[in-house]
Amino acid sequence: MLPLHAKSKMHRHAFSNGQAAYPSTGGSGTFSIQPHKFQPRSQPALRRRRQLIQRLLLFGSILLTGFFFFFPDLRPDLGSSPLSYLASSDESKLETVRYYDLSNVQGTARGWEREERILLCAPLRDAAPHLPMFFGHLKNLTYPHNLIDLAFLVGDSKDNTLELLNSKLEELQADPEAKNQFGEISILEKDFGQKVNQDVESRHGFAAQAGRRKSMAQARNWLLSAALRPTHSWVYWRDVDVETAPFTILEDLMRHNKDVIVPNVWRPLPDWLGGEQPYDLNSWQESETALALADTLDEDAVIVEGYAEYATWRPHLAYLRDPYGDPDMEMEIDGVGGVSILAKAKVFRQGVHFPAFSFEKHAETEGFGKMAKRMKFSVVGLPHYTIWHLYEPSVDDIRHMEEMEKERKAKEAEEAAKKQKEDKIKEQFDNKGSDWEKEKAAVQDLVQKAKNEEKEEAKKKEEKKKAKEAAKEAAKEELKEEAKAEKAKEAAKKDVEKREEIHEAWGADERGKAAPKQ
Amino acid sequence: MPSPRSLRRQNPITFVLAGILCIGFFLFFFSSNDGTAVSSGSGSGRTSSSVLSPPSLPFRKSKANEPHSAPPVEHYFMNNVTQSRNPAENKEKVLILTPLARFYQAYWDNLNKIAYPHDLISLGFIIPKTKEGNQAYADLQKQVTKTQSGPKAKRFASITILRQDTENPLMSQNEAERHKMENQKARRAAMAKARNSLLFTTLGPTTSWVLWLDADIVEFPPTLIQDLADYDAPIVAPNCFQRYYNNDKKAMDVRPYDYNNWIDSSTAKEMAAKMGKDDILLEGYAEMPTYRTLMAMMHDPSADPGTKIKLDGVGGAALLVKADVHRDGAMFPPFPFYHLIETEGFAKMAKRLNWDSYGLPNYLVYHYNE
Repeated sequence: MLPLHAKSKMHRHAFSNGQAAYPSTGGSGTFSIQPHKFQPRSQPALRRRRQLIQRLLLFGSILLTGFFFFFPDLRPDLGSSPLSYLASSDESKLETVRYYDLSNVQGTARGWEREERILLCAPLRDAAPHLPMFFGHLKNLTYPHNLIDLAFLVGDSKDNTLELLNSKLEELQADPEAKNQFGEISILEKDFGQKVNQDVESRHGFAAQAGRRKSMAQARNWLLSAALRPTHSWVYWRDVDVETAPFTILEDLMRHNKDVIVPNVWRPLPDWLGGEQPYDLNSWQESETALALADTLDEDAVIVEGYAEYATWRPHLAYLRDPYGDPDMEMEIDGVGGVSILAKAKVFRQGVHFPAFSFEKHAETEGFGKMAKRMKFSVVGLPHYTIWHLYEPSVDDIRHMEEMEKERKAKEAEEAAKKQKEDKIKEQFDNKGSDWEKEKAAVQDLVQKAKNEEKEEAKKKEEKKKAKEAAKEAAKEELKEEAKAEKAKEAAKKDVEKREEIHEAWGADERGKAAPKQ
Repeated sequence: MPSPRSLRRQNPITFVLAGILCIGFFLFFFSSNDGTAVSSGSGSGRTSSSVLSPPSLPFRKSKANEPHSAPPVEHYFMNNVTQSRNPAENKEKVLILTPLARFYQAYWDNLNKIAYPHDLISLGFIIPKTKEGNQAYADLQKQVTKTQSGPKAKRFASITILRQDTENPLMSQNEAERHKMENQKARRAAMAKARNSLLFTTLGPTTSWVLWLDADIVEFPPTLIQDLADYDAPIVAPNCFQRYYNNDKKAMDVRPYDYNNWIDSSTAKEMAAKMGKDDILLEGYAEMPTYRTLMAMMHDPSADPGTKIKLDGVGGAALLVKADVHRDGAMFPPFPFYHLIETEGFAKMAKRLNWDSYGLPNYLVYHYNE
């Protein structure tokens, strides 16, 4: 057994290339060429046919390749490119189908914990001067920035709003800190064309109000309808010209868990105008008088708050402010102002919008409040939670300030003249004084020290100053009396103005506004 | 041991390699190039690089291992969004919106047959969260997957599928229950909310037209979009009919189905004036004769098929609307608006915004027959 095995093993590797030479059990031991390969020379006819087939195939494939090259539409689709699995896999992969469940985006009181997205909308027109301030506010918001989507509608702007906005936004997103970057940012450009006369007086005249409010409503609707996504739980409307607002405003408003909620909007004033003033008069509660009035008006009329033409006797959110009141106090309202509105996205999803027509005799934000109420959403205002709108002097204010400036200059000139006169007197008196001093020194004790002398002189000078000031005071008193009279007049005027103050949801061009004169 | 020359030259490995190379070449050459074909191939498609993009635009998936990058600042030039008589030529985007309660295969087949370039069409669906809705959702999902992974020319630009957040007042969607008069107000208010939710979340900054098409419209011409757009009307509604077996004629026949397309009557106006604030006028109920002129009754097969009439109320079965109408704020009121609700109220609201509605009495689409 063993010798046989050894023998067979030996034979198995008879050749260096590992080929077994012969079957180990083969008996004869004669060398034979195993594959009996003999290839007959191909006959000319056979070879020619093969060549023909080869040529045909070659020609056919070149033709096909060329054909498909020039008509890519006719290419058979063999599924997605193998390239996509290698290098450009993500670039060529497009996502076209999306699923959303709207019950996940209802909006809750603690949205920041549930990662609820907010859409921040801001319509802009000629708003370039306010953008730096606005972006300052944006950066300071404490709500997680990646959950805030920004949408801007820029229209009919004559200044560099668009360029500035773009550069500011790029700057915002270039922040290396990921938590400082915002979510989706869209800039929508749409010019509606100027429908309203730009003349200052007519723009703020009562007659122009309805048309203006309607075109503002249109802009707001365009912005919202283009920017609202199925992922949004909240929508926040914010004017760019808010000067002061708490950094936590989104959370503060959200905590109330209301469908629509607005803070109180005031504006600071210079001291000579009383320090502060209610600004947004569009947040109000409906009154019987107003409802009765609405019934008497025709279909297209729009009630505008703050004009003498429509005495509505509505309680305004703005006037109910108590600086020391509980900021969480809520008040049911019917009309809302647009400076800062936080609303659940479902309000807008279900169709509430800013009517660009007379809806129950109201348009824009007031109509929005009315429509939300009509659809049984809760609409509240916070009378003691205040944000501050930018103060920009009206034409009257500017005129008044110019007068004040003139007065001040006159006073200065007067004072300068007085001083000159006094100096003259002082000079003469001084000479005499020093003479007398010298005489006195000569007459009196010679041992008196120079120090004492200096002291005396200093004292004298102070006394003189006092006398001068007394004179000034008297002059001032006189002027104050004048100013007081002026102020009383102003206050009377202001009272009227207050009623006419209409909240502006627009850009800067609305800003340098003149309250119409009564 | 050297092999013969001929064997060396025609080594099978050579053949295999050549074959692989050839197949590889053809595969590369013929296989689809998704990215370029959709985004730049037609020159109209716009894609977004972020997930946070309008649902009417497709977006690129981001790499899993890609470092986080800030969402870009997107510009949309809405001055350039046109609504012209030949929308396909101007690459105008169409959004087809369908509130879906039941899925009908015939509806989907017709949708696939639409002759308008599919890469300009976005679809939006809203499905109630009911048992029936779940079934429709599953059916739709299956078909959507099939279409969107099928031939490129047939794929739609984007598809958004929403599940409704508002509850449906009626559990049953069956015909008799659905059309009971007392159920109408609640049902149509819910329907209006569903329509608005669908509209305002899917309407993107690039959309030119919105085509409302009910899921039970099982037959319509493939050129529907072009045909309706050609009228250059802000809101245009074809006539909605139904095919049925006419027992008298012993043959298939058509009958009017949608009565919500009408021209107002003085009777209806008088009735409205006497109504309470929250009451609504309904069409097609014997208890409430309004004597309005119904477009459904104006159909005349022998008349000019292009006839266009002005309407005061429209139905939602099939409706082509210029996107600007919706952007201006015209929505489907879920509350009585001038005693009208949903699509009829929509026509009224559009009218208040100075947009007119038109109807085509002789242009037919067909409703499913239960």
